[in-house]
Amino acid sequence: MANTTVAVIGGGPAGLAAGASAASLGSEVVIIEKLPFLGGRPIEENYASLTPYLRSAEEAMGEVIDHALSFENLTVMLDSKVIAVTGDPGDFVLEVQSGEEVVSLTAGSIIVATGFQHFDPGRETQMYGYYEFDDVIALQDLEAMLKEGRVQRPSNGEEPKRVCFVQCVGSRDRQIGNEYCSKVCCGVASKEAIEVRLAVPGVEVFIFYIDMRMYGYWESQIYWPAQEKHHVQYVKGIISEVLPKDGRLLVRGEDTTMGRPMEVLMDLVVLSVGMEPSMGTREIAGILGIEQNKYGFIEAVKGPLDTVATSREGIFAVGSALGPADLEDCSSTGGYAGARATAFIRSHAKAGI
Amino acid sequence: MPIGGKKQLPIAHEKETAIVVSSLSGREWDVSGSWNRMFESRVLSDYSYAGLGKVAALEGGESLEFCYGCGKCIPVCPVDLVAEYGPRKIHRKVQTGMDLFSSDDLWKCTTCGNCLRVCPKEVNMIKIMPAVREVAMEAGSVPDELQVVFEKTFRYGNALGENPRRRHSWTKGAGVDVPVLGNDPRHVDVLFYVEDYWSFHPRGQQAAQAFARLLTLAGVDFAILGAEEKTLGDSQRLAGERGLFESLMEDAVATLSKYEFDRIVTPDPHGYNALVKEYPKHGHSFPSLHYTQLLADLVGRLPIKNPLNKKVTFHDPCYLGRHNGEYDAPRTLINAIPGVEYLEMGRCRENSYCCGGGGGGMWLDGFNSNHLSERLSERRVREAAATGADILAVCCPYEVSRFEDAAKSTGNEQLQVLDIAEMLDIAVGGLDAVEAMMAESR
Repeated sequence: MANTTVAVIGGGPAGLAAGASAASLGSEVVIIEKLPFLGGRPIEENYASLTPYLRSAEEAMGEVIDHALSFENLTVMLDSKVIAVTGDPGDFVLEVQSGEEVVSLTAGSIIVATGFQHFDPGRETQMYGYYEFDDVIALQDLEAMLKEGRVQRPSNGEEPKRVCFVQCVGSRDRQIGNEYCSKVCCGVASKEAIEVRLAVPGVEVFIFYIDMRMYGYWESQIYWPAQEKHHVQYVKGIISEVLPKDGRLLVRGEDTTMGRPMEVLMDLVVLSVGMEPSMGTREIAGILGIEQNKYGFIEAVKGPLDTVATSREGIFAVGSALGPADLEDCSSTGGYAGARATAFIRSHAKAGI
Repeated sequence: MPIGGKKQLPIAHEKETAIVVSSLSGREWDVSGSWNRMFESRVLSDYSYAGLGKVAALEGGESLEFCYGCGKCIPVCPVDLVAEYGPRKIHRKVQTGMDLFSSDDLWKCTTCGNCLRVCPKEVNMIKIMPAVREVAMEAGSVPDELQVVFEKTFRYGNALGENPRRRHSWTKGAGVDVPVLGNDPRHVDVLFYVEDYWSFHPRGQQAAQAFARLLTLAGVDFAILGAEEKTLGDSQRLAGERGLFESLMEDAVATLSKYEFDRIVTPDPHGYNALVKEYPKHGHSFPSLHYTQLLADLVGRLPIKNPLNKKVTFHDPCYLGRHNGEYDAPRTLINAIPGVEYLEMGRCRENSYCCGGGGGGMWLDGFNSNHLSERLSERRVREAAATGADILAVCCPYEVSRFEDAAKSTGNEQLQVLDIAEMLDIAVGGLDAVEAMMAESR
């Protein structure tokens, strides 16, 4: 008897899209999520809003979750983690640690949606002092503040007068090992810069960058409004040192356009941290025996024209498990993999294996 | 000074030579002047939105802050070839603390519009410059020589400070009848709006006379305003005197409304720009043509007979070409003259190099001599001479005098600067032709 179940590992934006897609095509779907809730990073990390439309992350992800849960043939296992997988394509057996007990379930196809984690700024080669200075924070820390409707200096609770973003923290760096561009940070930083400008009257907001990488519509959806309507100041040249100075932060770097050093006082420094494969992504790759690239993300072995196939037949990968991804990438690869997994199960059933 | 805790001494540059020349572009940086030892603050210690915000608050100044620093404007900025200039550089200087309102940088822009042509973000210096200059002018921060021209324009209705009653004295040498509408208020086809430099400048007057003969030979029913004419003042507007421009416009509209004519024809691309772009914004619409456009339509009616066996190159005026899209009419006229070997300069048409006269530059040569390694007109004349041309053809009244001076100062005396009207006049036989025509009609 052929197995008609698609197992989706991970309940974030990509996993939910994959699950809904497979379920809508008639497959039995089980989403296995290690946290006690669905929604992935946007919910876990307390994002205030999503790029580029500044929609509330809870509201927008709530709709995605509700849509997935509306399928009767889709079930969810929370607090659950895949610990072992055996069997063959079309007839996999997953051992799932669910709370205290270990459950065994079978699936014809597996979709890996285990996502990314934010780069740990403590690993930066530059002296940003993330763990040293209260007022040096990361993108997701500011998201959490914005979600609470406040922008404050963690050191004293005061509203900042000058805020800067430092781009490419943990990305595009051979020494750190993350040679790739994390793709979303320019847009997310600009989005947050707009939100800071809206939240704090008179605040000056700066973005120090190497290259602004606003691909596609984000250019005119985020970057141009940030600059033209919200008066965010973009300065080409990256900060490479943060020093304490009279209760504020002195950021130092080179203004490459002017060819001169810069030393500017800030009240709040936001590090635009990049993406790395999550621990879940690293672990599941080993459990499933699928290839990873040199950065630890799942390798999409067939390249640009087949974005979700992994090195093992019947196993697909989606979203930021594959590499730096925005939400569009997550829902696109998720939806595609849902269809591919369903097709795989059916072709397997026809072949009578 | 630096605030990093590590004090840094200012950097002193010893300047040994006054000119630094790029071996590739030939661009020169003039580092001479009364200082041969320059102190620069090395460290940028502040960025602020304040300066950009002050500009953005002005009507017309909104787009300076749009700059994202691509730098496309710099290579095409005519001033940057002879100095450090261009919208991107201004944007960054303002972002790092320069007060544009009191800076010399405010007056170097000729509003030639080549930066706007290439700007992906539509940073519009054509609007930014007049807006900021207007505020600077009200604060009394305007170069003296420009202030003098504003005052002359205000008092006499022309930038040269000439007696307005002598506005049509050039007509005496035309050899044809040039009717003045005030003396003979009848309906005419063409109202010839002579503008300042064709009215008063000796070389301009020669072109005006040539044009009057061409109109007569082509059988055009035309007249001028004579002493009633005042400049349209578009360059004064772009130099910051919007109030003066608007009062001149009121006067011009009052005068024009007294007479009946089918269209206005002017030799001045700046005046033409005002008529077709600025006047309609204030509700005044007059069918208007640049004189090359009128003549290009009539060229078949001109009795062209004398060949001009010369190599000719042509300088596109910014305000005829780039600003108003007319590139073909002047070329049609030049190529209608038999014997002409036409040569195009590298910078032509949309990418024509500014003569330096627009946006007030016509009246800032003294000011600019302290800031530019050479005049834009000199740069342009050297480019024209490099084509091997005998004649540099022009069709903007600012240019004959600018380029003739530049031809002398750059040692290119062999290059003759002629208005297209003068060239056509030679081709039809000039005064002899009109005399023959009159003898025939008698």
